[in-house]
Amino acid sequence: MTSFTVDAYQNEYLPLGGSEVNAIVTVTSDGAGRPAGGPDAAEVVIVDTSGSMGAPGAKIKAAREATSAAIDCIRDGVAFAVIEGRDRADVAYPDGMRLVPASAQTREEAKRAVAHLNAGGGTAMGKWLTLAGDLFATEPGRICHAILLTDGQNQSEQPEQLTQALERVQGRFQCDCRGVGTDWEVSELRHIASTLLGTVDIIAHPRDMAGDFQAMMEKAMGKSTGNVSLRVWTPQGATVAFVRQVAPSIEDLTDRGVVVNELTADYPTATWGSEARDYHICIDVPPRDAGEEMLAGRVTLVEGDQPLGQALLRATWTEDRHLSTRINREVAHYTGQAELADCIQEGLEARKHGDPATATFKLGRAVQLAAASGNDGTLKLLAAVVDVDDAATGTVRLRRDVAIVDEMSLDTRSTTTVRVGSSTV
Amino acid sequence: MSVVCPSGHQSQTVDYCDQCGARIGAGGRGSATDPGATSTMFPVLEEVDTSPAIRREPCPACGATRSGDDRYCEECGYDFLLPGAVAWEAVVAADRAQFDRHSVPGVTFPVYYGERRFILVEGENRVGRSRGQPDEDVPEIDLAASPVDPGISRVHAVIERCENGGCVLRDVGSTNGTFVGDEPAPIPPHTDVPLADGQRFHLGAWTTITLRRR
Repeated sequence: MTSFTVDAYQNEYLPLGGSEVNAIVTVTSDGAGRPAGGPDAAEVVIVDTSGSMGAPGAKIKAAREATSAAIDCIRDGVAFAVIEGRDRADVAYPDGMRLVPASAQTREEAKRAVAHLNAGGGTAMGKWLTLAGDLFATEPGRICHAILLTDGQNQSEQPEQLTQALERVQGRFQCDCRGVGTDWEVSELRHIASTLLGTVDIIAHPRDMAGDFQAMMEKAMGKSTGNVSLRVWTPQGATVAFVRQVAPSIEDLTDRGVVVNELTADYPTATWGSEARDYHICIDVPPRDAGEEMLAGRVTLVEGDQPLGQALLRATWTEDRHLSTRINREVAHYTGQAELADCIQEGLEARKHGDPATATFKLGRAVQLAAASGNDGTLKLLAAVVDVDDAATGTVRLRRDVAIVDEMSLDTRSTTTVRVGSSTV
Repeated sequence: MSVVCPSGHQSQTVDYCDQCGARIGAGGRGSATDPGATSTMFPVLEEVDTSPAIRREPCPACGATRSGDDRYCEECGYDFLLPGAVAWEAVVAADRAQFDRHSVPGVTFPVYYGERRFILVEGENRVGRSRGQPDEDVPEIDLAASPVDPGISRVHAVIERCENGGCVLRDVGSTNGTFVGDEPAPIPPHTDVPLADGQRFHLGAWTTITLRRR
């Protein structure tokens, strides 16, 4: 059995009249127990085979190789299939609407089928995802994971069709999305990935595809516990202002809450391997008198209804400003990381719309925040878009010639955070 | 099994009420039934020293609040026992005229620059720009806060309070020089220039510092 630990970091002291309780809840899983990637997992690889993948020819070729590399990583017994996506969706392997258990033989057959994939047609991701959902439905009770690879925008269907498809499949499987090249839309793929609790990233060059697919698949095979949620109880009169995953990346879960009863909601966190994630929870509580203490939130990690761990969020009102004005280190750190992601996205948006003053200000602030928190990965990506004069004060100049791939890489990875203690200062 | 919370709710959880969140088992401050609960309930509040502090007038030089019997102000070093002591302050502002005179390419005039005031300490007051490094010897008049004037050196100049009660300015070998008043030429480095009350000097792309006696 996988064991989980749940810890809360907060300053429980509030000033008189104060109502906002902030806490960072850290969940760590040792990933032990059930054989990783055991027979109760299911995997679907969705490959974009639209016309654009054909030109330049390298992309479809790299996609075939990457899919083959991913198939090689599927462990014996895992039910799997490959979907060929264009303006319609077809099962490329096996034949018909089913998943087959992985074995040396089925993996070879699948790779042979993948080698015959050709490019042609449009892009309708809603249909691809619907088909994946239907395939997973044939084998209920498994930990379901999909990989979606695309190089373009969702042109062959209306945005509403994609939204409807996402609503239908949400919660039924987890999906990691990868965009290859620079013709895809970061916000579109981020929306799909975040709705389906997966990750999004850019594969700048077709040659990097196989390695990335392999890594993604190995991670998926390492998941040992599925259907895990954060169950947040709040007292009468209190409201949850937000629930946000803040590490390893920022993901707002506030609107994903599933009501359990009038004081409790479940926030889905999908599958867990051996890993740690941090959540920032903010609760508005009715203020009480000085010296009074109350429980502002009870956060329980549950698999279905089975509790795995628990942390308590407290509130104590005090007249001592010394206590109430202190900001918890973890809360401060992740508030900064969230501002960092916002600054990057707003800065790039302003840059795109020809507003250099706002772009310089926002990206300068991003550089300052990334440097102060030790987020070197993001700092490096920022340096491809701006010239950094002084990271400590956030003095930057916009670069005139920015490769579109650098801009997209920064946008895609803007939500990647570092944990507390990474700071070098 | 359920318990009853202080507000009368039936609660399935025994530590805090599952309805209102009130702590169960401690009736309130000073509950006689369970002294242990009281001490965990207000662990820090009881350690707070609430004895009345000796009330003092704030520092006449910088306005900082005073406590205890300290002779010198914690903020500016003002000697409370010295009768009629003189305090000096340096007022830092962004000066458009100064910026236009230099017109350094690539540097823009700050949209907003709040006035910054520094109380001069006894002896040397270094004017400069810290790097934000740990264990750094930060200049007394540190102009590193944003918006930062890029034309100011790490240690640019020194304002020294002299024993006669006056002040002198000394450029300590800055890259871009220090200009007193409306003089077009910078003052020679490592040379003391006396400053009077209300006198201004310029450094960097837009920074102007006015010395005031109070």
